[in-house]
Amino acid sequence: MTSEAVRFVGVGKTFPGVRALHDITFGIGTGSLHALCGENGAGKSTLGKVLAGIHPPDSGHLVVFGERVRFESPREALAKGIGMVHQELSFCENLSVAENLCLAALPARGVFIDREATNRRAGEMLEAIEATIDVRALVGGLPLGQRQMVQIAAAVGAGARVIVFDEPTSSLSQREAERLYQLIARLRARGVTSIYVSHRMDEIFRLCDNVTVLRDGRQVATQPVASSDEGGLVQMMIGRSIERVAGSATPATVGEELLRVTDLSSPAKFHDVSFSLRAGEVLGLAGLVGAGRSEIAQALFGLDPKSTGDIDLQGKRVEIRTPSAAMAQGIGLVPEDRKRQGLVLQMSAQSNTTLPLLERLARLSFIRTDEERDLTATYFERLRVRAPGLDSLAAGLSGGNQQKLVLAKWLAAQARILILDEPTRGVDVGAKAEIHALIDQLARNGNAILLISSELPELLRLSTRILVVRGGRIAGELSRAEASQDALVRLMAGIAAQVA
Amino acid sequence: MLHKLLGSQQAGLSLIILALGLLLTFFAGAHEDKASGAAVNNFLNSHTLIQTATDASFFAIMAVGATIVIISGGIDLSVGSIYALAGVAMAMGLRGLGASGGWVNVTTGLLICLGVGLGCGLLNGLLVVILRVHPFIVTLGTMWILRGIAFVSSKAESILVPESLTTVAKASLGLGASLYPVPMLTMLAVAVIGSVYLTRTVMGRHVFAFGGNPEASRFSGLRLDRIQIGVFAISGVCAGLAAFLGASFYGSASCGDATGYELYVIASAVVGGASLSGGKGSAISAMLGALLIVLIRQSIRTLRFDQNYEWIIVGCAIIIAVVLDQGSAQLNARRLARAASRES
Repeated sequence: MTSEAVRFVGVGKTFPGVRALHDITFGIGTGSLHALCGENGAGKSTLGKVLAGIHPPDSGHLVVFGERVRFESPREALAKGIGMVHQELSFCENLSVAENLCLAALPARGVFIDREATNRRAGEMLEAIEATIDVRALVGGLPLGQRQMVQIAAAVGAGARVIVFDEPTSSLSQREAERLYQLIARLRARGVTSIYVSHRMDEIFRLCDNVTVLRDGRQVATQPVASSDEGGLVQMMIGRSIERVAGSATPATVGEELLRVTDLSSPAKFHDVSFSLRAGEVLGLAGLVGAGRSEIAQALFGLDPKSTGDIDLQGKRVEIRTPSAAMAQGIGLVPEDRKRQGLVLQMSAQSNTTLPLLERLARLSFIRTDEERDLTATYFERLRVRAPGLDSLAAGLSGGNQQKLVLAKWLAAQARILILDEPTRGVDVGAKAEIHALIDQLARNGNAILLISSELPELLRLSTRILVVRGGRIAGELSRAEASQDALVRLMAGIAAQVA
Repeated sequence: MLHKLLGSQQAGLSLIILALGLLLTFFAGAHEDKASGAAVNNFLNSHTLIQTATDASFFAIMAVGATIVIISGGIDLSVGSIYALAGVAMAMGLRGLGASGGWVNVTTGLLICLGVGLGCGLLNGLLVVILRVHPFIVTLGTMWILRGIAFVSSKAESILVPESLTTVAKASLGLGASLYPVPMLTMLAVAVIGSVYLTRTVMGRHVFAFGGNPEASRFSGLRLDRIQIGVFAISGVCAGLAAFLGASFYGSASCGDATGYELYVIASAVVGGASLSGGKGSAISAMLGALLIVLIRQSIRTLRFDQNYEWIIVGCAIIIAVVLDQGSAQLNARRLARAASRES
């Protein structure tokens, strides 16, 4: 019988307020690549964390290499050969790569750290996964892709024979992701078993042998990838078929110019950015990670005190030095990192929604609670925010619903110019379709939208025009007719168009 | 309704205070009332109860302000020194002005104390905002600076305050001789006002947002500098008010007043469930925290423990109270989880 590396037997897990996992049972063959997919909040990351010892299960048990085990800590899991590469990478950012890699058992001479031995051992660990990273560099200064390599090196170096990858490519550039895929293939050739948590279909079909679909903490299916098709998996994930967003078959009528940006620059971030944005337009902003897209967005929202250049709103020159000035001019920003920049997680869904507009809801500085409640309820209904109640904490909502909260905030604030920075990152398929429909509808209602996205299909589907940013400058503009995935990639990477 | 009440943040703390009160009543014994000859419980009598509340009131008032600072993610170590400086400034100011009518003295004194408190608070806030130094460092500095100013300007003398102030602070309000409810009532009023500020006003909500996630608050267009200066100003004003009450009540002010109060104040806030990492806390709970600390001190006396052990007992009690609070929060979360899994 082919050996199984891992088997989940009736695993269940409950968190405050949610039943995260429900009676999960399946096995993973040694040396195979097993995908866990599902919407955000379906329990796929939780299941990975149960295996890695971060969340001990409430019921059921695990069998690892034929042995029945129960892990109470990541250390116990690692002792049995299970390591995890986290979505949010946790390192001591103030320490070097070598120190982080050897942190559990720093080589020492007496009470002093043996630097040479530390560097040597870390170097060996990185070499084992064929990664070239300076072991003396501070982890805080490394790009995300390299930090991930360090984490993989740590897991493999500690003897992990099973590695759980939790949405590893969610914040990587295309090139970094490519490198990761190659590394995973190499690990597999060495007999390492991988569990790959993702909701990106292209990855699952490209990398994995088998797939388990989770929905609301329940196991919907476990099957070979070869006998699956994308539509079927998506349908299992969301429990219904998605109505395809019809794109903007009839594009919104483009109206007057709302925003004109002339020679916007910020030292070391972006230079001489000029464009205009009209009512009813969705202007896409494409570019590689680090090209300066988010920085431009933040400057427009008054978050970059060093920026220079002219901003005209409806033909009138304005000074936008603070977010409150931007808000007063009817500009709203949905930032790229919703947990860090978009939400106060330990406040209620309602308080988050009304945060930018409390003054308007108040009489003599006292918040009118009824109006606050009504307003929130209105926008929750409009955006179909699914929360147990208006008072539930933002932290407890799924990624899609959290993102809708951030959107609700700016819709309720009646921002006419909306800057959306990766509005569907880490959002499940259903919520994504809803957000797309909403963007479409907002444009129809005469809002002007600046859409930043790393997902080219999203940009192509929603934008009326696309600007490409490369190295902090506008590298080109494509009309809806000219825009294609190929043309965008060429502009983003700076490759001249091939002569046909 | 009852369920909601029991689940509230203040319920656990109120229960502990009540239990301790019952315990004290039970073990305190009784003495004979000199006038009537009736047996009077050594703890459960209006005099001792009001006295206990009075002991708590001076730093409970400051604890309300400090809680607001703590919710914003900051800390204010300078409240004891603001108290001393405000008291000294008032006593010297009134002495300098010479004899004037009773209410003029009271009003002038109150204005001086609140003004000094506000000024010191604004100073703290401005230093934090302009220098971009952590509030712990800034207020550690001003803690010494302000007390130093009080020391130098008062020449380390204890200065008497006019009697009219004591008359007000020790007004019996018809409760009978040697019962002084004014500090206690002021404490209650400050806690209620603080609670309304935190839960019902725009500023209060901004304080929670800023303490919970400054970055997201900035991205929501809040004016972070104003929030930060505001919380320190409030804390300063609370310290000024406490100084007015304290100096008036005891009849004098000196630069050594309220030494070490900053720690009692922070302890009250923390026992009241405020999180030092910001975003969580309550004004009413801070007051209850102060009451609990005083009650524990009181119980050492009432139960005739060796008073030399006071600090050890208070220290242990603070840690136990915070651990219990965390435990009950976890229990609450688990109860919610069970309820949620039943629903699904």
